Amino acid sequence: MSKDDILATMQAAIEKPRNAYLDQWVAEGRKVMGYYCSYIPEELFSAAGLLPYRLRGAGSDSSAEGDAYMSARVCTFVRHTISLALRGELDFLDGVVLAQNCDHIRRAGDLFRKKVRPSFYGFLSIPRAPKERVFDWYLAELRRLKAELEAHYSRAITSQSLEEAIALHNATRERIARLYELRKRESPPVTGREALTVTVAAHVMPRARFNELMDDLLADLEQAKGNGGYRARVIVTGGVMDEPEYLATVEKQGALSVAELVCFGQRSFGNPIESGPGDPLERIARQRFFQVPCARMVECFDDQVSELMRRMKEYRADGIIFQRMKFCDPWAGDGHNLYWRMKEAGIPFLSLDREYQVAAAGQVKTRVQAFMEQMGK
Amino acid sequence: MAILGRERKADWEVVYEGVNGLMDLYADDPDSKGMNAILKGFREYVHDLFGAADEGRPIVWHNCGCSPELIKGLEGVQSMPIEVLTVLQDLVGDSRYVMALIDEAEAHGLASEVCSIDKAAVGSVLGGLYPEPTCMLYHNTPCDSQVAAIKTTAALTGKPMRLMDVPYLYGDREVEYLARQMAEGIPFLEEHTGRKFSWDRFRQVCQESNRTAEYLRDWNDLRRHTPCPQVSKIVALCTALLVAFSGDPEGTAIARAFRDEARERIERGESAVEGGEKYRAVWYQDPLWWDLQFYDWMESELKLVIPMDLFGYYAPEALIDTSTPESMLRGLARKSLSVLPMSRQFKGPIDNFVDDYLKMCHEYAADFGIFAGHVACKHALGGIGLFREASREAGVPLLYFEFDMFDPRVTPAETIQAEIANFIEVVVKPQKELSGAARS
Repeated sequence: MSKDDILATMQAAIEKPRNAYLDQWVAEGRKVMGYYCSYIPEELFSAAGLLPYRLRGAGSDSSAEGDAYMSARVCTFVRHTISLALRGELDFLDGVVLAQNCDHIRRAGDLFRKKVRPSFYGFLSIPRAPKERVFDWYLAELRRLKAELEAHYSRAITSQSLEEAIALHNATRERIARLYELRKRESPPVTGREALTVTVAAHVMPRARFNELMDDLLADLEQAKGNGGYRARVIVTGGVMDEPEYLATVEKQGALSVAELVCFGQRSFGNPIESGPGDPLERIARQRFFQVPCARMVECFDDQVSELMRRMKEYRADGIIFQRMKFCDPWAGDGHNLYWRMKEAGIPFLSLDREYQVAAAGQVKTRVQAFMEQMGK
Repeated sequence: MAILGRERKADWEVVYEGVNGLMDLYADDPDSKGMNAILKGFREYVHDLFGAADEGRPIVWHNCGCSPELIKGLEGVQSMPIEVLTVLQDLVGDSRYVMALIDEAEAHGLASEVCSIDKAAVGSVLGGLYPEPTCMLYHNTPCDSQVAAIKTTAALTGKPMRLMDVPYLYGDREVEYLARQMAEGIPFLEEHTGRKFSWDRFRQVCQESNRTAEYLRDWNDLRRHTPCPQVSKIVALCTALLVAFSGDPEGTAIARAFRDEARERIERGESAVEGGEKYRAVWYQDPLWWDLQFYDWMESELKLVIPMDLFGYYAPEALIDTSTPESMLRGLARKSLSVLPMSRQFKGPIDNFVDDYLKMCHEYAADFGIFAGHVACKHALGGIGLFREASREAGVPLLYFEFDMFDPRVTPAETIQAEIANFIEVVVKPQKELSGAARS
């Protein structure tokens, strides 16, 4: 398959809650587990024979069902996802595993538990400081979840199955890393919109099939000429971002996104999980817990900044576009703090608040155009 | 007005003048024991804070989700909640100063949807209104906005900060986890304050905390009385008491005054509402702190009393067992998880939040509930649908509105007054008449 065919396939996979690969998985009698956040390791689900499916609001044309339970001060990403669930459009999910990622998702968890009532409901209490001193709590939470999955599905999650899951997901990580490596080129062979399409697709497709598609895609991209017509290179950072069309609006102004350090982007994958020896669950836990921290995490802001600065250099970016779902408090704090830190460092920084499923193209265009002028591009 | 003989920033002088003025106003009123005690406590707190700053003693900042007993286990160290100026300003000073702090934080780039108390805390830091901390000790409760605030205060000051990770649930495992973090936090506090932690001192602090708790439990019980013996506005002050004065004899004195005032008024057969109460409501979620006279208005105009609210409710969990260092840490952890208002109700599953409300409605014989939805409390507003359903199932009429507990510009008092008056007229009054007729 050519690059265009593969990207079209992945685009089709992320437009709606369901996709052909998912449907085939379910038709084969296999089960799907929903989750919101990368601090919940997909490897556990894969090891249990479940398809990890990261919850999104794609394809939701209304948040009415969510609005009936949640105030308009809850972010639209959460209201759309819970609306899909309440409408039965996520009925392919056999279960969900949630966490107190943020106050909004915590309440979505209550609605899943009380109103959607999937066959399996799991909840992780994830520490809010990525420090060794609380790692054992996180690991214990994963052990508890593993035991609950085993009991519910009457299936042992063995060391062997965990090792296989690590290999499967590491294969994805390696491919995503190669994709991002190509984006460091002077003329990156993919746009931000395309790259985000790929990374979002990874979250809603069976990984083995995704990895196969990636092999073809990478083979094509390594030979591709690339996009040289941009005016500036930017890194997009912030919270949840699974809408490639939003990036398309940014890129149409000449700001090429060369890396997305967002939920659903590079941050969700990280480096490969170390191979043995040792308890595979602990290795999974360590890789997930000490990933590039997101705004929910405390005592790590300098690490977040360092990661961003490192990427600025590696991807030779001219500036940063920070995007945040309206009403997201953790990213409100980080947005403020990043702005001042980048200002001190002399790095151009644009902050955009947004709503889910609302392009607001005119507004974004104007802000990005002004940003380009600010950068002298 | 000078504080401890020195001129201070205008914001603090306004607070100080306000608290002294109110103390003069209430001094001769025998029915204002509770109010007098907390006003005295506020003044003492201002003295303690500026005294520590003037003497160059270490000051440790904490947040409202973090009960200060652990910090008080260090000799000569002053604890300071980052919300203190906002709360004092709204309660005894001038709320326009709070609005200015909110505006300052927003102008500095902090998103408007962040909680106003957190924005005002950031505004206070930006304005240089707080004495510099040696370090900061924070809990990740009661909400995400606090997380934004604590990260921002750390970024703005560059001072060392340590988080006590408060987990989702409330059981023994969670208690052990938090207690262990507290133990591990002691060397952090010692290192940055240069003061030694004393287990004997900590024991005294926890014993004092327990004395306060016992008075508050009694006081909670007394406020169940019909008619409610004591004014509505005092209820919400309980959280300010706990956050600033836990482990401090001043806290015990305030709690005792709350209790004594309620008991004496019951003995005298007095009601909080002149002319007799007609309606009782549990005020849930956040109090209206920018105008305590709003509660006076409810009593005088609507004959409505608030016997209990979320900020005044002292959950009947175990006291701190002071027999060993480990038991004290476990007790403090349990208090942080399961007792401290807001942290108790806001952090976990919706069930805790709803169950406390229904329990309070039952125990305090409420005719209805008022869900005063502080606009920044996304955890609460995110659960409003389930909350409403539970209220309906329990047969408790629920009034819901959104407002900002520190910023009157969001929903003016007149709008809220109209909402409550209308709800009573249209829903509560007919229901009461109907049930009265059924009984007769």
